[in-house]
Amino acid sequence: MAKKEKKEEEEPRIGVFICHCGSNIGGFIDCKEVAERAKKLPHVVFTQDNLYTCSETGLAAIKKGIREHNLNRVVVASCTPRTHEPLFRACIEEEGLNPYLFNFVNIRDQDTWVHQKVPDKAFIKANDVVRMGVAKAEKLEPLDKIIVDVTPTALVIGGGVAGMTAALNLSNQGFETHLVEKDNRLGGRLNGLYKLFPKDQESSELLDALKKKVENNPRLKVYTSATVKNIEGFVGNYEIEVEQGKNIIPLKIGCIIVAVGTSLFTPEGYYGYDGEKRITQSQLEVKLKSGTLNENEIVMIQCVGARIEERKYCSNVCCMTALKNALIIKEKNPNTHITILFRDLYTPGSYYEEYYRKAREKGIVFIYYNPEKAPKVEKDTIKVFNEYIGEEISIPYDLLVLSVPLVANAENKALAQMLKVPLEENGFFLEAHVKLRPMDFATDGVYLSGSAKWPVDITESITQGYAAASRASTILSHNTLEVEGATSSLPEYNKALCTGCEVCITVCPYKAISKNEDDEIVITQVLCKGCGVCGATCSNHAIVIRHFTDEQIMAEIDAFGGK
Amino acid sequence: MSFEPKILGFLCNWCSYAGADLAGVSRVQYPPNIRVIRVMCSGRVDPAFIFKGFEVGADGVIVMGCHIGDCHYLEGNYEAEKKFAMVQKFLKLIGMDNRIRLEWVSASEGARYGAVVTEFTEHIKSLGPAPTGSDNPDQTMLTKLKAIKVAASGERMRELVGRQRKITEEENVYGEKTDMETFLKIFNSAIVEEFERAQILISLGEDRKSVKALAVELQIDPSIVLGHMTILKARGQVDFGEIVGITPMFQRI
Amino acid sequence: MVRKLGDNSKSVVVIGAGIAGIQAALDLGDMGIKVYLVEKEPCIGGRMAQLDKTFPTLDCSICILAPKLSECYRHPNITLYTLAEVQKIEGSAGNFTVEVLKHPRYVKEGVCTNCGDCGSICPVRGVPNFFDADLVTQSAAQIAFPAAVPPVYRINPDVCLYLNYGICGLCYQNCGADAIDFTQKEEVIPVENVGAIIVATGVDLAENIHTLNVYGYQKYDNVVTAMEFERLICASGPQQGHLKTLTDGRTPKKIAFLQCIDSRNDRTQDYCSSVCCMYTTKEAMVAYEHDNELESYVFYIDLRAGGKGFQKFLLRGAEEYNIKYIKSKISHIEVDENQSPIITYENLESAEIKQMRFDLVVLATCIIPSLSNEKIAKILGIDLDKNRFIKTDPFFPIESSVPGIYTCGCAREPMDIPRSVAEASGAAARAAELVKGG
Ligand SMILES: Cc1cc2nc3c(=O)[nH]c(=O)nc-3n(C[C@H](O)[C@H](O)[C@H](O)COP(=O)(O)OP(=O)(O)OC[C@H]3O[C@@H](n4cnc5c(N)ncnc54)[C@H](O)[C@@H]3O)c2cc1C
Ligand SMILES: Cc1cc2nc3c(=O)[nH]c(=O)nc-3n(C[C@H](O)[C@H](O)[C@H](O)COP(=O)(O)OP(=O)(O)OC[C@H]3O[C@@H](n4cnc5c(N)ncnc54)[C@H](O)[C@@H]3O)c2cc1C
Ligand code: SF4
Ligand code: SF4
Ligand code: SF4
Ligand code: SF4
Ligand code: SF4
Ligand code: FES
Repeated sequence: MAKKEKKEEEEPRIGVFICHCGSNIGGFIDCKEVAERAKKLPHVVFTQDNLYTCSETGLAAIKKGIREHNLNRVVVASCTPRTHEPLFRACIEEEGLNPYLFNFVNIRDQDTWVHQKVPDKAFIKANDVVRMGVAKAEKLEPLDKIIVDVTPTALVIGGGVAGMTAALNLSNQGFETHLVEKDNRLGGRLNGLYKLFPKDQESSELLDALKKKVENNPRLKVYTSATVKNIEGFVGNYEIEVEQGKNIIPLKIGCIIVAVGTSLFTPEGYYGYDGEKRITQSQLEVKLKSGTLNENEIVMIQCVGARIEERKYCSNVCCMTALKNALIIKEKNPNTHITILFRDLYTPGSYYEEYYRKAREKGIVFIYYNPEKAPKVEKDTIKVFNEYIGEEISIPYDLLVLSVPLVANAENKALAQMLKVPLEENGFFLEAHVKLRPMDFATDGVYLSGSAKWPVDITESITQGYAAASRASTILSHNTLEVEGATSSLPEYNKALCTGCEVCITVCPYKAISKNEDDEIVITQVLCKGCGVCGATCSNHAIVIRHFTDEQIMAEIDAFGGK
Repeated sequence: MSFEPKILGFLCNWCSYAGADLAGVSRVQYPPNIRVIRVMCSGRVDPAFIFKGFEVGADGVIVMGCHIGDCHYLEGNYEAEKKFAMVQKFLKLIGMDNRIRLEWVSASEGARYGAVVTEFTEHIKSLGPAPTGSDNPDQTMLTKLKAIKVAASGERMRELVGRQRKITEEENVYGEKTDMETFLKIFNSAIVEEFERAQILISLGEDRKSVKALAVELQIDPSIVLGHMTILKARGQVDFGEIVGITPMFQRI
Repeated sequence: MVRKLGDNSKSVVVIGAGIAGIQAALDLGDMGIKVYLVEKEPCIGGRMAQLDKTFPTLDCSICILAPKLSECYRHPNITLYTLAEVQKIEGSAGNFTVEVLKHPRYVKEGVCTNCGDCGSICPVRGVPNFFDADLVTQSAAQIAFPAAVPPVYRINPDVCLYLNYGICGLCYQNCGADAIDFTQKEEVIPVENVGAIIVATGVDLAENIHTLNVYGYQKYDNVVTAMEFERLICASGPQQGHLKTLTDGRTPKKIAFLQCIDSRNDRTQDYCSSVCCMYTTKEAMVAYEHDNELESYVFYIDLRAGGKGFQKFLLRGAEEYNIKYIKSKISHIEVDENQSPIITYENLESAEIKQMRFDLVVLATCIIPSLSNEKIAKILGIDLDKNRFIKTDPFFPIESSVPGIYTCGCAREPMDIPRSVAEASGAAARAAELVKGG
């Protein structure tokens, strides 16, 4: 290696390889001549044209060029870096050059293929872009991969079904796992429920089975009546303080999973809610569980406090909860009258639609209501405008059950600040990418699962628990974490330029930049994705974006101008 | 020979560059005037790159990134938008703001990439060569362009742009949010001020000058020039050189 | 991030390389576990690659998918077999042996430069491209779409003249890279020491099994399916995203979207497809972005939008994109003399029977399980549910009926992309438990 290092510090010796890509490039422009002209560019010591630079023959030619001409920079002009850059980088690396000393010039996809009718102009363009590419190559610097250690230990915050599932999976994968639950028992929402859709299984049965697995797992440590007090560090290397009673427990952690679930909404002021005759579905579950339900004229209203101006969202589980409870009641006492006033019945997928059908078969009455003409609750009757027959109807009731949404925990904000992750407008945690990174935060090392992200049923809480565990395992499975070298940096020689204005901290989407105790800017390389925004923004040009440095890009621009 | 504009393009790797490649794979034909510099994200495009492009002879500069919401780095293109808006305001001062363009082109928009480049090339053609471009550039314009580059690269403008989203979109610790209008007012006056200050600095680079002489040369009210001098002096960029009679002559540090 | 192969001796086989299979493979690969990803089509990406934009953020589907495709292709821990299927398994959880049958592509991967010269010279024309919902045709030397992964052409053996009649061979002569290899044969690849299997065979659509004649599909040209519509509005699709009617090339000004086609219907599929309320809104929005004079009508039974940000998405559709939602039941469809469809429906809010004329009708057809599910279930010995999705238990949602065989995504129930991705990671976590011997 030592020899190579030296090679890179020497004067740039650039080799340029022009690819014909069969006739795809060579059929339109004179590749030989492009190579010939490149020879005259500064620091270029060797040029060659190849029929297929990416073929084994072509790659061998590059290696031979490096050997025989002592090249320390390589430029290939051919198809596109998007498909072929990794191949050429690997090629020069095999010959002992740092892979970042390679530069790609696109003369096919963005030249000969798009200017087929003006080949002479495509030729000029090819020469220009080769000149620009060589100018950048001259300024390229070798870069090393960045490596940090990883503590193979996980922290799960919240011991509901999602949190327990995640923690169990991680400990079964062999990682020491810590589960912190603020309540004095595990289980979250499951604790208050009677039976569960879509299986007609008692909640306690599912919960007890899970709890047993959790308690018997040697690698899983549970802290109940505990909260996370402080979080320092970054992916692979967190220092955590857990507060349990008067004790502060310090933990070294590699990854964190957020599974803090939701809170219940109290429909104060909605439809005469009083917790007695007019109750919520949760309260109904308690009644069912204790066998104290005697009413037999029951009306349920859906979307209470949901899908309205203040709370626009649909809470996902309340339609199914209503159907479940209505069916349970009907089963026990088929003579009970149950009416469900709904807006849209939310029973997606292949399992839930069946519930809806069953409910209709059992004689449960479904009446659509328009939110602009909301039902009116009187002492013993409910008046609702039936759109279908075009008039108001009265329904007598002795129990009114309101289906209210799950809402975000009030404490989410404090936790989010500690974790440096965002919340969305309703107070739920906001993932990195709605579609492709549903369990990740933008910040590496912190993951999300269950209803802390959005109201979901148990099935989805379980899959998401596993999913978050999987994401964490992609980090925890390795002793070290390696990232590509093309990241942002605040080099020693630029430190004096930095005024500590913190603008870079503001713009970094990955929270990779922070200040240390000495008030100095620190860029955590493993978190940086190399987007370059901080470099383009830094008020004092102190930040250097490796592999896309100001110097390199300016050299390209100069070469564009012909200089 | 008809005018063949020189066009410089900055393309983000993930969407626009992929879109440009797709144009190739689909053999979409467009004018051969553009030269592309690939950056990882449109947010990497430092305003200085655009000014530099004109300095070395570009007739038009186009920046392309992923559609808003699609940035591979989540929000880079929002930052690109802010920087671009500043560049545009500066170039307006010298009547060149119609020579730049910001476009969002996705990886599936090969045909659109071709259309955008064609349209932009035609547009620049119709404008004719940039005063700063060609073989024989207009020196006063070049000096002004340099002043703009200096102004835009200064700490004040960069900090304002860097903080814009934070200031206008998030509340500060007192729960207040600066509305866009207030921000723009500050921003717009900063642009004019910094441009004037940069012109002063460049002019002083040649010679020691008095406030009055500068005022005449740059056609700015002397009281405003004096104000700029106080600030530039505080920033440590100018100082009194000598006093001729009762007139202080300033010099650049 | 750079990933090394861990010291796990066991590997995982993932069947189906849609977004679910891809995500499962990537997670496992990133954990340092060796993965064999088996895809029956010539390229990976599944349905998501075909979509134009995706709800609820309207981002360009291929833009966000393409980086994942190439990551998967290049991942040192993932071996990708395209044009391949699993034909046999033996053993049990923790130690399966899997036999993969790989069909010949007749083009050498790693040599083909994706230039398309073979395709342009091939005399066989009119081969429908499944990727463009058969709206576009190709030659026998083909690639599904320009950015396909692997970026390698393929000679379609069903129609190639050389392979069928021994004549032609023009592509072979025209390929400068010498990438075409007519001597390729079917290959049986045994994969041993497989700790777990993940089935991610995804979706097919109702139009693949029904004619949908009652809705005028295949009877009237201006009645298209949602998947066809996705391609029609896609910038890289057959009309470059400039929506035109298929009959006379008019720009449609009024479009009807009919929901629950063959879903929630006792006679066909009785379940809800879960994603159509949302993708319909998306499609109407995208179409509106192309043409601000467009009026869209969505005929629905219930609007199902429970996911994150979904309600807001529907509201935006109604407020900003000129979409009108009508709670209704469709009676029948006919066409006028200009081939414009006329819909007769019952408005369920006002109980009135009404008629409306449209330029185009889009059918939100039911998502059905992959047509290959029966075959794969038999090979693997796993159970299917009554709708032929892979059977799972609601509280063990990732487990199939056989230990060590997991499932995720639309293979087990219709679901959207975010959920497919989450489940895929979930399946990876379960498989990892087995591989790591926990
Ligand atoms: C009335 C009702 C009936 C339902 N019926 C069903 C049903 O039949 N079938 C079904 O599938 N789903 C049902 N659900 C939904 C089900 O309850 C949820 O899907 C499930 O409980 C979500 O699990 P979770 O782990 O995400 O969150 P939770 O169950 O809310 O658990 C979160 C845990 O995190 C803890 N926590 C919160 N903040 C912190 C913190 N800062 N630090 C540490 N710990 C913290 C909480 O104490 C709690 O234990 C029902 C919901 C309701 C309201
Ligand atoms: C018209 C339409 C629009 C949509 N729009 C959206 C949207 O905007 N947003 C959103 O979130 N979701 C949308 N969806 C849903 C989305 O397409 C699915 O969620 C997603 O594709 C599911 O991914 P998957 O990997 O499970 O299945 P698929 O994408 O179907 O992938 C399955 C893969 O497995 C392969 N395969 C099948 N059988 C075998 C076998 N036996 N052996 C080997 N390989 C096999 C297939 O070839 C395919 O590549 C839409 C769906 C449709 C129909
Ligand atoms: S699940 Fe049903 S009751 Fe709950 S908010 Fe959604 S539509 Fe309303
Ligand atoms: S933006 Fe630049 S000057 Fe400001 S704190 Fe960051 S590195 Fe320092
Ligand atoms: S390059 Fe991007 S990710 Fe890296 S520190 Fe700068 S802003 Fe953050
Ligand atoms: S097989 Fe040959 S001709 Fe066809 S795309 Fe590949 S390299 Fe080009
Ligand atoms: S050999 Fe087959 S694929 Fe090739 S050109 Fe002839 S018909 Fe087409
Ligand atoms: S990556 Fe394309 S704009 Fe940021």
